[in-house]
Amino acid sequence: MLPGVIGVLQATEVIKLILGQGDPLIGRLLTFDALESSFRVLRVGRDAECPACGEHAHLDASQVKDMDYQISCALPIAGD
Amino acid sequence: MARKYDQLFETVRQNVDEVDVHALKAAIESTSSKPIVIDVRERDEWEQGHVPGARFIPRGFLEMRIEEQVPEKDQPVYLYCAGGVRSIFAAQALQQLGYENAISVSGGFGSWKDAGYRFDIPRQWTPDQRQRYSRHFLIPEVGEGGQGKLLDAKVLMIGAGGLGSPAALYLAAAGVGKIGIVDSDEVDLSNLQRQILHSTARVGEPKTESARTFINQLNSDVEVVGIQERLNADNVLDLVADYDIVVNGADNFATRYLLNDACVVLDKPIVDGSIFRFEGQVTVYKPGEGPCYRCMFPEPPPADLAPT
Repeated sequence: MLPGVIGVLQATEVIKLILGQGDPLIGRLLTFDALESSFRVLRVGRDAECPACGEHAHLDASQVKDMDYQISCALPIAGD
Repeated sequence: MARKYDQLFETVRQNVDEVDVHALKAAIESTSSKPIVIDVRERDEWEQGHVPGARFIPRGFLEMRIEEQVPEKDQPVYLYCAGGVRSIFAAQALQQLGYENAISVSGGFGSWKDAGYRFDIPRQWTPDQRQRYSRHFLIPEVGEGGQGKLLDAKVLMIGAGGLGSPAALYLAAAGVGKIGIVDSDEVDLSNLQRQILHSTARVGEPKTESARTFINQLNSDVEVVGIQERLNADNVLDLVADYDIVVNGADNFATRYLLNDACVVLDKPIVDGSIFRFEGQVTVYKPGEGPCYRCMFPEPPPADLAPT
């Protein structure tokens, strides 16, 4: 049952994004505990030093193509 | 008889504010306020074209529907018809309902077109579509405009498994026009306990084909694109580029980092979901508006800590 709950929540977010309605879960992590029957929302912020989207990041298509995601997934820290 | 009508019209007109189409255009384009514009013509007139952003409430339904659509009675409400006559009476009706700023657009849609201003032609719905989406049409947040957006939308599902199954089914039912499904697996009997997109009869089929069968039966408005591949660094950018939104239902870290990086580069939102035992999580990574996956997890955890 749990995948149904989460998958339908994802579909709901997609519909909101397409329609431009409401507040999608951008910067918020919604968690559902099926045993407790409880939802929680955690705020999550951007990281200015993020190696993908931070202020000094310079991620581009060629880096994505060249990375070996099965082994490392690690981007060089910006400025390195 | 004609004299009595003329007198009535003049009397009503004297008590109604009027603006011309140029003033309406200026009001629509002003950045400070977004005016409410209502087209009070009949459906066949509306379908030939209407002022962009206008709402459609035929004159005959105006009093019944206006309070649901426009609850705030102090806001300016611009009313137009074909030539500016019906909208005068419409404005009077709104005044009687307590609307303080009901304005009739003189010259109506005819003058709008004559002025060379852009107009929208609404999507033509088949009778089946009118019925299928009738409940969406009734919701102000969706309506015919929103349903058009859904049908024009392109959503890429990563995985047709536990999360992708319900998500794809609801998106297809809602009328999302194009659904791409990336999955390299075949349907296994052990999937069916939770992966509701598949069926016993389709065990052994590629999941992309099984998904297409089910979605086509549910809603033939939806174009299903099956991509029977593993998502990897070679194909991710080309795949994601063709879609507006990505739904991640894959359960491994490599795919999350790969998708995240591709979507940051291509500026596409990811609707991410995950499950671990009895707990599930959902979030949206939208480049520029909120954190991405790497903001939260710059690097993958050591392999022995990672749930699969």
